[in-house]
Amino acid sequence: MRRGVLLAGIVAAVVAAAVLAYFFVYLPSQQRGKIKVVVYAYLDRITGIDPSIEDDTGIPVIGVVYETLVRYDPATGDVVPVLAESWEHSEDGTLWTLRLRRGVVFHDGTPFNSTAVKLSIERAKGIYEKFGRGSGYIWSSVEEVEIVDEYTVNIRLSYPTRLDLMAAAIYSAYIFSPSALAKAGVDSPLDPELESWFNQGNDAGSGPYYIEYYSPESEVRLRKFEKWWGWSLVNNPDAPDVVVIKIMTDPLSQYNGLLAEEVHIASSVPRANVGDLASRGFKVLNVTLFHNYLLLFNIRRYPTNITSFRLAVIHAIPWEELVQVALRGFGRVGKGLIPHGFPGYDERLAYKYDLTLAREYLQESGVPKGTTIEFVYQGEYEENEAFAQLLKSRLAEIGITVELKPLPWIAVKDAGKAVWEDADRAPHLIISDWWPTIPSPYEFLALLHSTNTEWNWAGYNNAEFDELLDKAYELEGEDYELALQLYARAQKMVFDEGVAVNLWDEVRPFVVSSRVDLPEDALNPLYIYVIRFELVKVRD
Amino acid sequence: MPLSLSYLVKRVAWSITVIVGVVVLSYLIIILSPGDPAVKWAGHPRGPGAAKAVEQARKELGLDQPLHTQILNFLRMVFTGDLGLSIAYRQPVYDVLWRNLAATLELLLVAYAIGVPLGSFLGVFAALRRGKRVDGVLQAIGTVFANTPTFWLGLAIFMALLPSGFTAYGRVNVSLALSTGFYTITGLYLLDALLQLNFPVFVDALVRLLPPALAVAAYPVGVCLRIGRTLMADALLEEYVRAAAAWGVKRRTIVWRYAFRAALPGLVQVSGLAFAYSLVDAMVVEYVFGREGLGRLLYDAVSVNDFRLAIGLLVIVAAFYLIVNTLADIAQALIDPRVRL
Repeated sequence: MRRGVLLAGIVAAVVAAAVLAYFFVYLPSQQRGKIKVVVYAYLDRITGIDPSIEDDTGIPVIGVVYETLVRYDPATGDVVPVLAESWEHSEDGTLWTLRLRRGVVFHDGTPFNSTAVKLSIERAKGIYEKFGRGSGYIWSSVEEVEIVDEYTVNIRLSYPTRLDLMAAAIYSAYIFSPSALAKAGVDSPLDPELESWFNQGNDAGSGPYYIEYYSPESEVRLRKFEKWWGWSLVNNPDAPDVVVIKIMTDPLSQYNGLLAEEVHIASSVPRANVGDLASRGFKVLNVTLFHNYLLLFNIRRYPTNITSFRLAVIHAIPWEELVQVALRGFGRVGKGLIPHGFPGYDERLAYKYDLTLAREYLQESGVPKGTTIEFVYQGEYEENEAFAQLLKSRLAEIGITVELKPLPWIAVKDAGKAVWEDADRAPHLIISDWWPTIPSPYEFLALLHSTNTEWNWAGYNNAEFDELLDKAYELEGEDYELALQLYARAQKMVFDEGVAVNLWDEVRPFVVSSRVDLPEDALNPLYIYVIRFELVKVRD
Repeated sequence: MPLSLSYLVKRVAWSITVIVGVVVLSYLIIILSPGDPAVKWAGHPRGPGAAKAVEQARKELGLDQPLHTQILNFLRMVFTGDLGLSIAYRQPVYDVLWRNLAATLELLLVAYAIGVPLGSFLGVFAALRRGKRVDGVLQAIGTVFANTPTFWLGLAIFMALLPSGFTAYGRVNVSLALSTGFYTITGLYLLDALLQLNFPVFVDALVRLLPPALAVAAYPVGVCLRIGRTLMADALLEEYVRAAAAWGVKRRTIVWRYAFRAALPGLVQVSGLAFAYSLVDAMVVEYVFGREGLGRLLYDAVSVNDFRLAIGLLVIVAAFYLIVNTLADIAQALIDPRVRL
């Protein structure tokens, strides 16, 4: 009996201690909130943070930690100064002079200057040329980066290009501190050890936040860089002290995180839950991104090698229903190949949903009813699945059977590329989602260039189209307006032939807690998923 | 000594065979499934030089070698303890594994610390009242707990807690951890908080850990309750137990010192076997409660064909399972004098 009393006493003491700890230690500590923290839920694991190489999912980190020379402004279609304050080019467009911002320091305290610019451009270009990695091809026209003085560089090009647009690229355009080489213990900027050094979580940027903790599979913690040159310009005393980019690969987990008030900005909650979150007081910021979903036809395989058959399929797509029902409103009907607001976008290049016309095209094609076609798409995207089901039902109405093949992304890519080796092994229809590296129409149209066998999943090979594209790209630095006209002709050509169509442009709902203000300017459709946290405000 | 050298040798040999099997099978499944790990290693290159980058990546990963050479090379990497860099994250595989293993272990250990004693105690309680209504109710509870899908249970607990404003999301409140200067030492947050005498973080980590731990504990509670009840009921009918009662030995002594001791080896064995299920449950529940851990890591690794990370993880899970079951066998031999290993 005595032992029982003792046991009961111990249990009572433990429970009492737990209750006291909860009320007197835990609850008061929850009220502290001395540090302004924003937790940003991001859907993808971070694949790397090398500023010259990474061209995948590391951009939300790199875009905050590093800076480019200029930034693309979607409102004007032009660029605005960042690390370069001003720039000019020679009449023939092959010599660009950049004047750099003074008083900028990198996170380790070393000053930003011409050497950093030369090193950053040459490394991105060199790595691409040597290993084929990254997006350093954006600097392919660069012949020489010449240091004029500490804050002036001359960039000599082998042919005229819009260097200002290249310098605003989402990938491989970031400037890093030359001190990184010594820290990584390498002599050459092309040494693979430097990439390893970056990917261990080290940073050499000049952006408003620096990396404090790097765990690419779960979270990246960024700390406010007090010496950032732009704080006086943004004048935002409520900017977060700490930003946590939390990797949440399951949309439902992001939704739960918002409800639990442990996530303040979510990039990817399930579309079906956005309305529920709005009704609970969360703010929803819908951003139309330069990210679209293209339907490509295998033009080397029967029956998608017949133009009128392709047009029959295209006219069986219920465009409005696709966006309103299948995408729950989170999309804009695609036009041509280029997304809304992007250079080269053409409102007129639109198809209509017309089953009568679709039947006429089908009859014209001579393809018998009951024909089966294969459709491959990335199964992880709920939007793709919704579209696939919709297309299947509509094509069934005109007598075409669609065999749906949802696959993981890497398998989709293998299936798409097969069109060049064995067209009959490649699917008739395939979805490719695409986003640009630089703000140029070339980025989207080059998907159908005959030399682009990696991504041209239509197997399209048209010398006239290729020539128009190549000429337009070369003209960008010389006569931008004329270049745009050539791009427009090329785009119209594939529109008429129905080789590929832009199904929809992505509208991404960023769901934001009431504790946080996320201004529209903090999101840019070119720099997908990058949030300019220096503009974000955290309420107490 | 109930433990022989030959048992240990056999056990080690068997463990190595299992691990080789896990590695070879996993490697084949991942490598032969659609998708190319070299594309990920090259960083999903999109530019015109993408093919060159992927080809280079294939060489770096050794994927240009014949399949049997690849497997032998990979086995060598596993047994020399150097799996290189993760294909998805470009960080050492073991660094990534350890960060996440600690989170899962913490959840699993707390769940087991709750589930096994509670289930066993309820099993004994039911056995002592066998045939009565409370016995039927407890057996029903055991069946339900052992068969409830843990993902569903976790979600139900999470949603039930939401209206109360009590958050059980993530491992620790980020603001609290930052404002109190909390940092990780072992990766087990409860232990780390104690080592730093950071009581606010300890309490916060504990209250976030309990709901998912309860969800994971459901299975061991159910299994231990049902098995414990059966073993205990059998033990209570043994002649030595009845003789002890006839001799006037105290009931508590009979129950815990004689009958329960007889049931204990069986319970230990079952707990060891249930461990693998609970590990899988923990990996699932982590998802619901926004916690990092092996579950998320494995799913992500497989989805991007990161065979180094996925297989490294499977090897750790297999090794863990083998160790726990070996320990359960040894514990059984130490407890039960009839068992010789």
